[in-house]
Amino acid sequence: MPPCADCARPTRVLILDDEPIVCKRLKPAFQKAGYEVETFTDSSSALARIEQMRFDVVITDLKMEGTDGMHFLARVKEVSPQTGVIVITGFATSETARESLRKGAFDFVAKPFKLGDIIEAVRRFEESLGRD
Amino acid sequence: MRPRSVWELNMVGRLKKFFSPRSSSQPVLPFTVLFKKFRSILERNNLILELMADMGDKLGGEYIFDKQYIMDITEKISDLVFKLISDLCVMTRVEIVDLFVTFERIQFEIQEELAGRRAVPLTKPVLLLEELSGDCREEAGNKFANLGEIRNTLELPTMDGFVVTTRAFFDFMEANGLFEFVEQGLAGLDLSDDSALHALGGEVRKRILTGAMPKHMVLAIHAALGIVCDRNRGRPLFFAVRSSAWGEDSESSFAGQYESVLNVPGKGIVEAWREVVASIYTPEAWRYRLHRGYRESEMAMAVGCQLMVEAEVSGAMYTYAPVAPEQDAMVISAVWGLGVAVVSGIAESDTIFLDRQPPHRVISVEPGRKTTKIIGDQAGGTALVDLPPERQDAVCLGEDSIRRLARAAVMIEKYFRRPQDVEWAFDRAGNLHILQSRPLNVRPDQPERHMPNIDNAALSAQVLFSGQGTVVQGGVASGKVHVALNDDDLNNFPFGAVLVSRYTSPKYSRVMRKACAILTDIGSATGHMATLAREYRVPTVVDTGVATRVLKTGDQITLDAIRNVVYAGTVKELSDFEITHAEVFEETSEYRMLKRVLKKVTPLNLVDPGSEFFRAARCRTYHDITRFVHEKAVESLIDLSEKHQRVHDRGSKRLEFAIPLGLTVIDIGKGMNIPPGVRLPGIEQVRSTPMKALLEGLLESRMWETAPVAVDLGSFMSSFTRTFSSSMARPEDVGRNLAVLSEDYMNLHLRLGYHFNILDAYIGEELNDNYIYFRFLGGVSNIERRSRRAKFIADVMEGFDFRVEIHGDLVVGRLKKLPRQRMVGRMKVLGGLIGYTRQLDVNMTGDEMIDFHLADFMQRIQILKEVSEDAPVCRLRPADPSVDPG
Repeated sequence: MPPCADCARPTRVLILDDEPIVCKRLKPAFQKAGYEVETFTDSSSALARIEQMRFDVVITDLKMEGTDGMHFLARVKEVSPQTGVIVITGFATSETARESLRKGAFDFVAKPFKLGDIIEAVRRFEESLGRD
Repeated sequence: MRPRSVWELNMVGRLKKFFSPRSSSQPVLPFTVLFKKFRSILERNNLILELMADMGDKLGGEYIFDKQYIMDITEKISDLVFKLISDLCVMTRVEIVDLFVTFERIQFEIQEELAGRRAVPLTKPVLLLEELSGDCREEAGNKFANLGEIRNTLELPTMDGFVVTTRAFFDFMEANGLFEFVEQGLAGLDLSDDSALHALGGEVRKRILTGAMPKHMVLAIHAALGIVCDRNRGRPLFFAVRSSAWGEDSESSFAGQYESVLNVPGKGIVEAWREVVASIYTPEAWRYRLHRGYRESEMAMAVGCQLMVEAEVSGAMYTYAPVAPEQDAMVISAVWGLGVAVVSGIAESDTIFLDRQPPHRVISVEPGRKTTKIIGDQAGGTALVDLPPERQDAVCLGEDSIRRLARAAVMIEKYFRRPQDVEWAFDRAGNLHILQSRPLNVRPDQPERHMPNIDNAALSAQVLFSGQGTVVQGGVASGKVHVALNDDDLNNFPFGAVLVSRYTSPKYSRVMRKACAILTDIGSATGHMATLAREYRVPTVVDTGVATRVLKTGDQITLDAIRNVVYAGTVKELSDFEITHAEVFEETSEYRMLKRVLKKVTPLNLVDPGSEFFRAARCRTYHDITRFVHEKAVESLIDLSEKHQRVHDRGSKRLEFAIPLGLTVIDIGKGMNIPPGVRLPGIEQVRSTPMKALLEGLLESRMWETAPVAVDLGSFMSSFTRTFSSSMARPEDVGRNLAVLSEDYMNLHLRLGYHFNILDAYIGEELNDNYIYFRFLGGVSNIERRSRRAKFIADVMEGFDFRVEIHGDLVVGRLKKLPRQRMVGRMKVLGGLIGYTRQLDVNMTGDEMIDFHLADFMQRIQILKEVSEDAPVCRLRPADPSVDPG
């Protein structure tokens, strides 16, 4: 399963979650699946990073200390509208889901989730690009 | 939770009318309230079981969860358990003090776990090695907790001994005011001043070497020594005394930082303990900790004391040869005598490279020139002796020893899912002993460079199937398939193979240490085998539906049980990545926290309601409390109805049956139709649709083969009773069965010996209100047979459209929103099923019996016209999917 069918380089993924365990476990899983991964547990470093580098996919938690994940989502879409944002959250209400989708999130995964589910979500995003 | 429907509200109204006490001589709480509480206990009971299953699933490694999840879900469970007890309080109207006290204790313990307050372990000052496991890190330190796993879970040979715990360390340090001394010393210290740290360390070490030993500690050491010496009469009783500190042998190895004292006689143990503990404060060790940011409060040391091996050959083994990571090799270093020389790298040793894959072919042997060896001195301590010339260049390990060592090392690596640095020894009789094992850090400097390899490798490998079934234990494994269909297949299970089978079964624990992975066609992630697979950390996927069809004995495959993909052949890069890069889920603090919390939630200690230990004060977990409350609620409702009978029974309308079974029937509204003069109501007096269907199902299905078909409820029920006495139930177990009925509703608690059925059903004209909830638990036979019976019950119910969950031997089936006639048909099937299963676990001698009984039951149940006329809905799942084209 090629991570990025029509380009030579692997898909770049940024993961932001203030729970280190989420980053710790997602990073090797995505690496194993052939992605280039950077992880952040604080939103300010992640914000700084997205100004420097274009990521194909951003995975972010919604509720964190400091910056609200919703702001981060908005900023990512401002800097790089093509980036696919997948939101993870422990508070899976339809309200937050609607809001994040309105702000341009591609998909939504509720915690706790299966590793396969989130990789699947990224794959779906990649496929959606292929169809456009 | 199911929303309250109109019928229920109506029912409450009817209840109110019915049970409002006419006589004021006896104060009776309205039955309405009581029954409402009873129903709410049932609902909470089910929710608690579901949440427990949910938490159990998270241990497998397939899910990403954080601490917040653990906090949230434990709070939910705590809340439900508290309300459960409160409901029981209202029902029984007695203050259940014991239950609340127990609850508060468990809740407090869980909160302490969540807050991470475990500083001073509440343990004995000394633990024997057989008492250790991986959960003892706080008490025994990493090194000996790991050794405990190697000894007690993997059952690899280790020398007898005991651990002086960190508790003893804390007691000693506190008794001598040493923590305070260190703290004050550090406060006034310039850390860049080496000589000051040196001086402070020297003073602390002196105080440790001369400080007073707490009496209880000395007594405990002597007691443990006595036990170990008694068990090992006839051999020299010298000990290896080694450090096992917090954090040692974890991410930071602390290798060589702390003292070990070898060949110590029993009477020298206490002094050796002091020496080892004092080594905490050598300038090198102290600096090492300071550099890595360890705080003083994170320093605690357990000390292990193990009998010495009279070693012929000793050494170390790396399961990943660090010199050639792209070569798939392991490396052994070996010397004659004790292995100190290898570990400290002071003398030449033999170097043997061998294949990582079974059968572990030797790749190369480089003999070292071994002029001397270290041995245990008869007077204690060690001595260096010269070796005769003919042994100096001889290789010290033969092929057979190499292979045995390799298997043990691979087993340890597989279990800890990290490359291992194993210290080992062979004694004169050629027996292998594992001395210790620590994780080996072989992560390459530039991991990113290796990434494309994994991707390409996984891409070019053929995917046999993916995303099928449920991951029970994550991990990656590669090996040859061994399909096990019967016990013989297990007897010759090859080391390092992938176990492939139809069903999950706890009997596979026999081969779990040999198996590198497990795949089954059918099974649940919460069964007993799943628990064992997690304990042995064998990558396992159950319920794939296709494993035995797709895979044949001898096929080489690779299972990625993190992403749930099965590849053809060996995907070496994938296995390598998993073992060298991936986070070991079991080492994360979240995993360990969830596991510790679960220990206080899920184990069920109160299994037998007839036992004298079935008491509130005996509850040790939330599961115990839940079970206890449920049992008491049923009892209380029965007691209550008996009381009501005295109040209400004026002749014409009876509220219960007087039948030998003691099935108490509480009619809460048109559930029974008893004409005047009928003392003993039979089945013809039952009006309740679900109850009538169930009883008719029992009779018409003729599943009660050992007893004559009963003609009325009384004699029919007495056949129940005969069955009891023949299936080991005590008389007092009979007679606490309860049915609450109305025209459309039934709530039935039916204990048949140790089988325990709960049925809650509503069958009326409004399709959307209709449901059946069926729960089956227990049995007296062994767990394998009970699991098979559970599987059989689940298969039958699934055949009739129930949504079924199995948790061990607990089966829960739910069915909703079918039209009245179909619901009645299914209720009759359940009647047949209850009849059929009553002696079933005795018959469940093999896995093949599941399919046999399924076919038998499905055929015999056709006698019910509701089933035979409703053929499209009842499907018999084929016994062998390989012959099923669909």
